[in-house]
Amino acid sequence: MKKLFQSAATFSIALSALAVSALSLAATPEIELIIKDHLFFPATIVIPAGQKVRVRIFNQDPTPEEFESFELNREKLVVGNGQTVIFIGPLAPGEYPFFGEFYPKTAQGMVIVK
Amino acid sequence: MFLNAVVLVLQEMIEAALLISVLLVFTHLFRSAWNGSFNLPTSWVIVSVVAGSLGAVIYSYYTPQISGMFDYVGQEVFNAGFHLLSLMLIFLLAYMVPHKSLAQKALQRSQLAAFCMAGVVIFSFVREGSEIIQYIGGIAGQDENFSPVVVGGAIGAGIGVSTGVLLFYGLISLSVNWSFRASLILLCLIAGNMGSQAVLLLTQADWLPFTPIAWNSSIVLPETSIVGQLLYALIGYEATPSMLQVAIYLFGIILIVVSPLFRKAWPQHRSLVEET
Repeated sequence: MKKLFQSAATFSIALSALAVSALSLAATPEIELIIKDHLFFPATIVIPAGQKVRVRIFNQDPTPEEFESFELNREKLVVGNGQTVIFIGPLAPGEYPFFGEFYPKTAQGMVIVK
Repeated sequence: MFLNAVVLVLQEMIEAALLISVLLVFTHLFRSAWNGSFNLPTSWVIVSVVAGSLGAVIYSYYTPQISGMFDYVGQEVFNAGFHLLSLMLIFLLAYMVPHKSLAQKALQRSQLAAFCMAGVVIFSFVREGSEIIQYIGGIAGQDENFSPVVVGGAIGAGIGVSTGVLLFYGLISLSVNWSFRASLILLCLIAGNMGSQAVLLLTQADWLPFTPIAWNSSIVLPETSIVGQLLYALIGYEATPSMLQVAIYLFGIILIVVSPLFRKAWPQHRSLVEET
């Protein structure tokens, strides 16, 4: 009887953990960012405060670029003609600039958190 | 493009250069310890630079595939792995090299020390070097940018190496005991940095949960300032670290502070050169 209770408890804990993680997976919104001609499209991203966001970066240039932001504490290489994913947030309201480390003069953008 | 290349290559190189400098100071100091029986040749640096550079080329070649792994967070996973392996090697260096079981085994002791130091340097080179290779590789197709970037990169590398040399000579110019203590304090911070960087990468990949920002010191020392950049390269200074980063950083510091190697530097009424 005790064994049955224990396995039932384990099963329900595992099931609720799975449900919670599935819920949070489903809840992460995604934003697309395109790198083309060493520029970011869109140059300005608006996201809600206190929300984790998945940013999918498509590099449509043949050369690699590195997405970097001191304010966001994010740094990631995106290969030429490739894509990558980074997660930002939850963030407090404000402006968080980012840039392309390989071509910083042109590749600049801003994440605005409202 | 020229200035950008100088700064970019400098930033990557300086991390590796400062790390090599600190470890070279240990190599130099270890000669005086253990009654001069510590026979660690300085050639470990050359071997690890060559191996690290080769590793950087390989890692850079496979970056597209690695990038796509684990749902496009392969880079973070691999780089965090390198950082954690480096942390383990520093742990080995601090705990096993001064261990009683190796007290009479000079050869094994120096081999272990060389293995740990070389490993940390190789991982550092693979990480930083592959980024430089990606950058230069991207510029390679653009004739008008290529030579300023290569020249700029060489200058950046030169500045990085010079900074490392400055740190090395600055540290060994102190007395033996204080060289050892200063280097150990740096080693604590480097260990903390390894853990903290791994945590940051895995948070970026959503493999670790979000934790709120612990503090914002950008008013006191912005990350973008020269001192801020230098401290970032040396010990991983960040103006807005997350709480998990700070916790792991402190863990790294404590790990080395309680290690036998650290305690050798603050013995009761004994100097480094004596050995029980």
